[in-house]
Amino acid sequence: MWSNRLIAVIGKGTELFSLSYAWNELRRRAGRTIVTAIGLAAGVGLVMGIIGVSQGLSDAQTKALSPLGSVGTSIIVTRTVAPTLSTATTTTTTFGGFGGGSGGGGFGGGGGGTFAGGGTNGGGFFRGGGAASLNSKDSTALDNANSSIITDLAKLGPAGTKFTHDFFVPGTLITFPSNAVSDVAKVKGVTSAVGALSLDALHESGTVPKITASVKTGGQTISATVKPPVLTAKQQQTERSCIQSVIEKRFGTGGTTTGGTGTGGTPPTGGTGTGGGTTVPSGGFRFIGSSSAINKCLTPAQKAYQQNVVVPEQTVNEVLNPPTTNTKTSTYTVAGLNPSNTTSGLVTKANLVKGTWLSTNPTTVKSQVLVTTAYATQEGLKVDQTLTINSINYKIVGLVNPTLTGDVSDIYFSLSNLQTLSSNQSRVNEVLVSVANAKDVSAVATAIKKELPGATVLTAKSLADQVTGSLSNAKKLANDLGGALAVVVLLAAFLIAGLLTLSSVSKRVREIGSLRAIGWSRGRVVRQIIAETLGIGVLGGVVGVGIGVIICLIIGAVGPALSVTSTGLAVGASNVSGLLHQATSSSVATTVHLTAPIRWFTIVIAFVGALLGGLIAGAVGGWRAARMSPSSALRDLG
Amino acid sequence: MTDTLTSEQNETGSGSLLYELRGVTRTYSKGSVAVNALRGVDLSIKRGEMVVLEGPSGSGKSTLLQLLGALDTPTSGQITFAGRSLEHESDQVLTDIRSKEIGFVFQQFNLIPTLSADDNVAIAMIPREPSREKRSARAEELLTQVGLAHRLGHLPSRLSGGEQQRVAIARALANRPEVIIADEPTGNLDSENAREFMTLLHDLHERSGVSIIIATHDEDVALSAERRIRMRDGSIVSDAQN
Repeated sequence: MWSNRLIAVIGKGTELFSLSYAWNELRRRAGRTIVTAIGLAAGVGLVMGIIGVSQGLSDAQTKALSPLGSVGTSIIVTRTVAPTLSTATTTTTTFGGFGGGSGGGGFGGGGGGTFAGGGTNGGGFFRGGGAASLNSKDSTALDNANSSIITDLAKLGPAGTKFTHDFFVPGTLITFPSNAVSDVAKVKGVTSAVGALSLDALHESGTVPKITASVKTGGQTISATVKPPVLTAKQQQTERSCIQSVIEKRFGTGGTTTGGTGTGGTPPTGGTGTGGGTTVPSGGFRFIGSSSAINKCLTPAQKAYQQNVVVPEQTVNEVLNPPTTNTKTSTYTVAGLNPSNTTSGLVTKANLVKGTWLSTNPTTVKSQVLVTTAYATQEGLKVDQTLTINSINYKIVGLVNPTLTGDVSDIYFSLSNLQTLSSNQSRVNEVLVSVANAKDVSAVATAIKKELPGATVLTAKSLADQVTGSLSNAKKLANDLGGALAVVVLLAAFLIAGLLTLSSVSKRVREIGSLRAIGWSRGRVVRQIIAETLGIGVLGGVVGVGIGVIICLIIGAVGPALSVTSTGLAVGASNVSGLLHQATSSSVATTVHLTAPIRWFTIVIAFVGALLGGLIAGAVGGWRAARMSPSSALRDLG
Repeated sequence: MTDTLTSEQNETGSGSLLYELRGVTRTYSKGSVAVNALRGVDLSIKRGEMVVLEGPSGSGKSTLLQLLGALDTPTSGQITFAGRSLEHESDQVLTDIRSKEIGFVFQQFNLIPTLSADDNVAIAMIPREPSREKRSARAEELLTQVGLAHRLGHLPSRLSGGEQQRVAIARALANRPEVIIADEPTGNLDSENAREFMTLLHDLHERSGVSIIIATHDEDVALSAERRIRMRDGSIVSDAQN
């Protein structure tokens, strides 16, 4: 018979126990064998289910957060604005707004303005006043960039004419020069660093509003009583020094100023103009910018004077707030990526679901875009259809499906194309970093933060920490309780097997006594019992794995839905939305379905668990048997 | 069924002392009460003897049998088996002696219910004989010689009482013992089977010279032995040759 042949093969030379005895024992006491095996099987099957669910939750979270992985990115470097900005001044800057203003380009353009410009370290680019805040220059620039839409409408035509235009704003992701990418690439452990640009787009259509008003001021004659100020020499010196420092701060050294003479001479004349650079005839003070700085230098006596002065006339353009307009606005998001990077970037070729990737030919790609499947569905767009943005036609060459918490832009241009379109030449607002080893991610992130103080460095872990929703709750539950539950279930299975074995051994007193009488040692009897229970363990393991597989398949088939919400990269939240009274959601939600994958190590764990249960049961039963003396065993039976 | 059945020693040592007991007592505790199962027993048994232990229940014969079978050690006194003192030996040593020198036949047969007849015989040889083939061969030979060649693969549940007891004899002889200890061997047999069993035992004794010690209530069994030892209340009250 095959079983006897098998036993003969296995048992040859193995005299630690009798395999045929164990086999016959299990075979002929089938009831006890099956019940004990089922106890073990149920336990290990449940443990397989628990491990499967835990694995499934991890897989779900990985899938939800896989954008970083699926786009070949370990770390995203940005520069975001803190929720409370440092105070932006109300001074209008010397540069124009978006869309080719006179300052030589939009927000961050190299117009040599008063903000952090390209090339030179103007003090703003990643080296501002602290980790999360901007210096006053950058915050001013950000505000102005985001707010200059209103003034830009005036450039679209005379007030009252109809217009359609798309404006691009960076939202809370401030742009910075592209050479930040090479700075990041130099950090040890970084295998690649790719720059990207993610912007909010505002599609405006309507009538050009009257957004500026020209106001004439001045021309009044003001009568004042003059009390000539009498300054001491010391007061004169102090006042002169104060004014000098104001001028130096404003224009650097070398500026000239005329100070008040204080000798009862010609009273100073002055103007109270606002705006940029109103000057008065020489011989008097030059009021530069706000007069408050100079005023602080004057003595109280000088401040109190009255004089008949003629305020010069001037015309001031003031921004009306809110604008009087019937503009309709819709928002969408855009991003620029390098078409040559097909495996690492905001989206990759792996995310392409229809059509083709952007061309690497710089001329061809200028008229190409990729669109996300979600946006395409929303707007009824298809591959090969044309999108018109600011009078330029773009062909939709492909549809992509970027995953959760990654960049969720609607339309993808080539980076250089978008930089031109949004007047952000040589600027990016994201650096996507690949790291050689997954375990180096934290260290590299820290190194990047040191290299670029003020940068916001996001790793998959930090994104994972932001994830909320039923998935993260379930994952937390699995982490906290899953292990404990698995242990409890296994212990219960071991206990059942142990008790059943103990009961069985107690019923075999005569048999064990006989074996002892005919010359079986205690050790041999114990080994024999353990051999039997290990056999039950093998059976329990096989059945248990079967049960576990069924449990996992059922969970996979039912596939309970789990929600995942993440704040992502907050591209959509910005001051613009507040100005335009529109809510732009900065969080992204999706649903994933739970599975319980069956991995090889799960099966191994289950099987080993069952064998361990058999071993423990055998040890318990063997201990009971070993305590039986042959004489008492035989005496009981008379 | 000749020299294959028994120890080679038996033939050369026949007539020499197999057992010597001096002042052997055995006391058990039953709750707070001490039971003197044996009270100062002196006894000598030669090799090749066939001895019957008689006495009512509680006479101490089963206790004495257990001491003779190295299943137990005395509370006091000396007991020597084949020139070896047993009273202070460890369980391991006693087990070793049992596996090599002593065969048992029990009233309840005490076969392993899940093993066939040949496996029941072979299982006694496991501590001594590593070869599975040799164990199998000897088991078959012994069962043939007790007339059970046609029952090799039968479970005890499919054997009659007499057949089970014959399997027990075959098992007892498996390791070529010095002595066979039989505790009420015919107690569960009908008279015919009892007769057949005793005929077999005698046949064994005559042909191989194996020592046999039988505890029994059965007068017919007692009459068939060479020596009858009567016990009462833990002491030997008579010891006579038949």
